[in-house]
Amino acid sequence: MWNYEKRLQFPVHITKPCPKTASLIISQFGGPDGEMAASMRYLSQRYSMSCKEVGGLLTDIGTEELAHLEMICAIIYQLTKNITAEQAKAGGFDAYYIDHTSGLWPTAAAGIPFNACEFQSKGDAITDLTEDLAAEQKARTTYDNLIRMIDDPEVLAPLKFLRQRELVHFQRFGEALEKIKDKLDAKNFYYFNPEFDKQFVK
Amino acid sequence: MADRNALLKKIGEISFTLDDLRLFLDTHPLDDNAIQLYQENITQRKQLLKQYADEFEPLTTDCICLESNGSSNTCTKYPGQKHWTWNDGPVPWDLAANESAVIKGGV
Repeated sequence: MWNYEKRLQFPVHITKPCPKTASLIISQFGGPDGEMAASMRYLSQRYSMSCKEVGGLLTDIGTEELAHLEMICAIIYQLTKNITAEQAKAGGFDAYYIDHTSGLWPTAAAGIPFNACEFQSKGDAITDLTEDLAAEQKARTTYDNLIRMIDDPEVLAPLKFLRQRELVHFQRFGEALEKIKDKLDAKNFYYFNPEFDKQFVK
Repeated sequence: MADRNALLKKIGEISFTLDDLRLFLDTHPLDDNAIQLYQENITQRKQLLKQYADEFEPLTTDCICLESNGSSNTCTKYPGQKHWTWNDGPVPWDLAANESAVIKGGV
């Protein structure tokens, strides 16, 4: 069960529309390392997670990622608000505009639509948490690339906030992986799958 | 009457403190300092959410109270009328509406 809270996790206050910038940031909505993939990854992985506390962390981070998805959509909405067809064309937003006008639709910056293949739910605690650690770093790199290319301080403020959250999530997933290892054979963490071969868990 | 955006900012800050502490406590469930901070901040958040709903609009469904929501009558299409308050207030991504806290446009 989820409840909606009618506010953004961090304020988005963009006064200068820029469809070009929107066409780059949209990758964090529907791109390979975007917030939608992040949320779906963690919320899908938690069901079979053998350690209840780690499952709880996946719920809480997966939920926060939904709030990040909303922030990214707010950024794109404000960057494309009231633009004309000519501005869409000049800003390289024309191909998107043809199919979606100013509606929000999850896609990568290069135009590849959101795809569930962009995240994994493997049913093995070590595999999944290692994927999560890499995912947070990939999202961080994407934010770094965006921050390098964008000048508008009003756009940079929420992007910098989101980048910092990737670091915190990486730290927490690292702690979660250690917690899982505590329950495994230190001589060979990969001897069995703690989510499947439950009879071997300490 | 409180300043709507100042109160919203305060709710945002305290809620973020809790968001961060929640993840920390998920991996450090016995940390006394974090437990105490969580307790202090969640008490304050509940008070602020109630104050905000009383004056403006409910931010969560738990804050819906058709008798007491929105005493300032500034964020609603139905000032002074008993009405469903969950749709009062601007959507969070609408910058202009959030700045003026006035609901207009649309159908």
